[in-house]
Amino acid sequence: MATNPKLAWLKGPTRPSTSSARPSSSRSVSKPGTPGPGNRPANGKPGTPSAYHNAINDPSGRMREYSNKDDKCPVCTTDRYLNPKLRLLVSPCYHKMCESCIDRLFTLGPAPCPICGKILRKSGFVAQTFEDLDVEKEVSVRRRIAREFNKKVEDFPDRKSYDDYLEEVEDITFNLINGVDLPQTEARIAAFRAANAALIEANIQRDSVAAAEQAAAEEEDKRFRAEQARMAAREEEDERTERERERRAVIEGLERGEDAEGVLRRTRAEAERRTRRAQELAAQQQLARASALTAFARPAKKDVIPDEPHIAYLDDLLSGAERYMLKPSYDDPVSDAARPELKSRWTIGGYRQAESWQRAVSCAVMGLGLGTVEDSAMEVDVGA
Amino acid sequence: MAPSADPPPETNGASSSKEPLTLYEVSTQYKHWRFSAAQLEERRRRMNEVAVNAIRQVHEAEEEGSSCRISFLTFDEELLLVKQYLTTIPKMCKLHQFPEEVEATAMSFLKRFYLKNTVMDWHPRNVMLTAIYLATKTTNNPMAIDQYVANIPRTTANDVLELEFLVAQSLNFQLAVWGAHRAAWGIWLDLQTLPEWNKEAAQGAYAVADEYVSVSRLTDAEFIYAPSQIAAAAWHLADPALLEKWLAAKGESGALPLIKTIASLIEKEGKAPNLAVAKDVDARLRICKNPEKVEGSKAYLRRQAEQQEEATAKRQKKAERAAKALADDPFASVPIDGAEQNGTKIGEFDMDDDD
Repeated sequence: MATNPKLAWLKGPTRPSTSSARPSSSRSVSKPGTPGPGNRPANGKPGTPSAYHNAINDPSGRMREYSNKDDKCPVCTTDRYLNPKLRLLVSPCYHKMCESCIDRLFTLGPAPCPICGKILRKSGFVAQTFEDLDVEKEVSVRRRIAREFNKKVEDFPDRKSYDDYLEEVEDITFNLINGVDLPQTEARIAAFRAANAALIEANIQRDSVAAAEQAAAEEEDKRFRAEQARMAAREEEDERTERERERRAVIEGLERGEDAEGVLRRTRAEAERRTRRAQELAAQQQLARASALTAFARPAKKDVIPDEPHIAYLDDLLSGAERYMLKPSYDDPVSDAARPELKSRWTIGGYRQAESWQRAVSCAVMGLGLGTVEDSAMEVDVGA
Repeated sequence: MAPSADPPPETNGASSSKEPLTLYEVSTQYKHWRFSAAQLEERRRRMNEVAVNAIRQVHEAEEEGSSCRISFLTFDEELLLVKQYLTTIPKMCKLHQFPEEVEATAMSFLKRFYLKNTVMDWHPRNVMLTAIYLATKTTNNPMAIDQYVANIPRTTANDVLELEFLVAQSLNFQLAVWGAHRAAWGIWLDLQTLPEWNKEAAQGAYAVADEYVSVSRLTDAEFIYAPSQIAAAAWHLADPALLEKWLAAKGESGALPLIKTIASLIEKEGKAPNLAVAKDVDARLRICKNPEKVEGSKAYLRRQAEQQEEATAKRQKKAERAAKALADDPFASVPIDGAEQNGTKIGEFDMDDDD
C-alpha cells in the first residue's frame, strides 16, 4: 500500500510521512508524538514469525498459527487490505494487536495494554493458534496447570483420593480460566507446589524419561524399518543379477554344445536353492523384528490399583430388617381394593408385591427410636 | 428377632465400631430437612425480615416514604397462607386421581419451598401447582402437562413450568421424600404378625390413623420427627392400646413419650386455617408482594424501561462517537477509546461498529 501513490492520503498520522520503499516495514513505525528513539529503525530483533514463540508447541507441525482474511488490528485498525502481511499476536491479557503496534508500544520496555491497561512486555506476546481466544486461554492455563499438577494415579493410595485430586485440579483450572478468586487460587497452587515439590520434580523426570523412552522406541522402529527396506532392496538386486548370470550360463552352456538336459537340471537345482535361502532369510528377519519389539516394549505396570465400584446395597446400612419378620402374605386392603391400579401394575414383570410390603414395614420401624434435633445446634441460613 | 427376607450384612459389627445407620438416616430428608421447632420458627422469622426489608427498599426507590403505608405479612401470616394452600393439594390430587404418594410429596415440596422463599415473592397458588406437577414426576406418576393444566382454571402450561426449576432449586434438587403414609401402611401390615391380631378392630383404627396421617401433613411434624414416628403417633391417636402393644413387640417402648408429643402436635396443629382469615391475608398479600416479581407492575416495567433506556443511550453514544471520529479522521483511535470506556471486548467491538 505504501508503494501505491494513489493511496497516499490513507496514511494517517500514525504512518511515517515518507512513503519510501519499505514494503513490509510496518513494524518500524512509531507513534508520531514519540521523540527520538521511536524513529530509529527497529532493533536487531525483527518481527519475523520466529520472533514470537508459538502458543502451542506442537512437534508434529500440524497446528498452525491462526489467521483470517478479515483480520484487523483493534488498536490501529489496520486490516489485511492495508497491510497484506498483517500478523496479529495475543498478549498475556488475551488481547490481539498487530506486530507494528507491539513494536510501537513495547519497544521501549514494559507499557500498559492499550485495551485493558495491564502492564505488558514485548516478549509476552504469542502467536494465536485458535480462532477463539477463550480456547487459547484455556489451553495455556491447562498447560501451565499440567506442568505442576502432574501426579499420577499411582501416587495415590486409592481411587477416591485420586478422584478428589483431579477434582481439585479441575476446580483450580476453572477458577484460573474464569478469573474466580484469583489470589486464593494462586495461593492454593503455591501451597500445592510447596507441599509436593519433590514429587512434582520426580514426576517431571519420570515423564521426561518416559518421553525419551518412547522417542527412542520410535527411533529404533524407524531405523529397523529402513534397515529392512535396504536389505530387501539389496536382496532383490542380488537375485536379479543371480538370475541374469544363470540365464547367461544356460545360453553359454548351450552355445558350447553341452547336453540340454543337464543344463536344465543344473538351473532347476540352482533356483530351488535360491528359494530356500530366501525363505530362511525371511524367517530370520521376522525373528529379529520380534526381538526388537520386545526390547523396546514398555515394562508392564505393576501394582494396579483396583477401581472398585460403589455398590449401594452392600453399604453398611440397616433397613430395619432385624426388627420384623415378613409374612408370606398380608391382609392388605390398601393394595387390594383402594388402589386397583397398583394391583394391575404389580402383575407387570419386575414388580413383586412382597417388595412393597417389605419397604412399607421397613419404613414403619426405621427411625422409631430417633431423637429430635437439638435447639443448640441452631444454624439459620436465610438466602436473601 | 431373626432377620427375614433381607438379612443384614454379617460384617456389621466387625467393619466399624460405630453403630451402622439406618437407610432413613442417610436420606437427604434426614440430613437436610430436619430442624427443631425453634429453628423452624427462627428460620421463618429471619426470612420474613429479610424479605420485608428487600421489598421496602424497592418501594422506597419508587417513591420516598411509600413503604410506611403498606402492612407487610408477618411470618405466621405467611405460614397460615401456605397452610391454606396445603389444604388444596389433596383436593387437586383427588381431581387428577393421583395416589397418596403424590399428595404427600407435593405437600412436603410446598412446605420445604417456603422454608427457603417467602410468600411475598412467590404466590403459593402457583408454587402449589408446580409442586404437584413436580411430585408426579418424582414419584413416577407422570402426567402430560397439557392434560394437567386442562383441569385447572386460569392456568396455562407455562405458569406451571416457569416455576419448576425455581422450585427444584429451592429444594436443593433433593426430591426424594419419606412420607408417613407408607410407614402407617407398614404398621398396618406388621400388626398382622402380632398374636392378638384382630382384623376388624385394626381395620377401623387404620382408617382413622390414615386420616391423622393426612392431617399431620398440615403440621411441621415431618421437619421435626421421623416418618415412622409420625405414623406411630397417628396410630396412637386411632388406637393407643394396639400401638403400645406393637411398640413393645418392636422393643421401642421408650419412644412412647415422643410419640405422644407428636400426637398432641397433630391434634393441635392439624387443622385447616380459618378461610376468612386466609382470604384476608391473601388480600393483603396483593398489596405487599414484591413489585419486582409481578409482571406488568410499575416497578417491573420501570426496571425494564430503565434497562432499555440505558442500552439505547449507550448505543447512541457509540454511534455518535463513531460518526465524529469518521468525519475527523479514518485512523483516529476510536476503537481504543470505545473499548476502554464501555469495557467491551475487542471481538464484540467490530460487530457493534458496523450497525
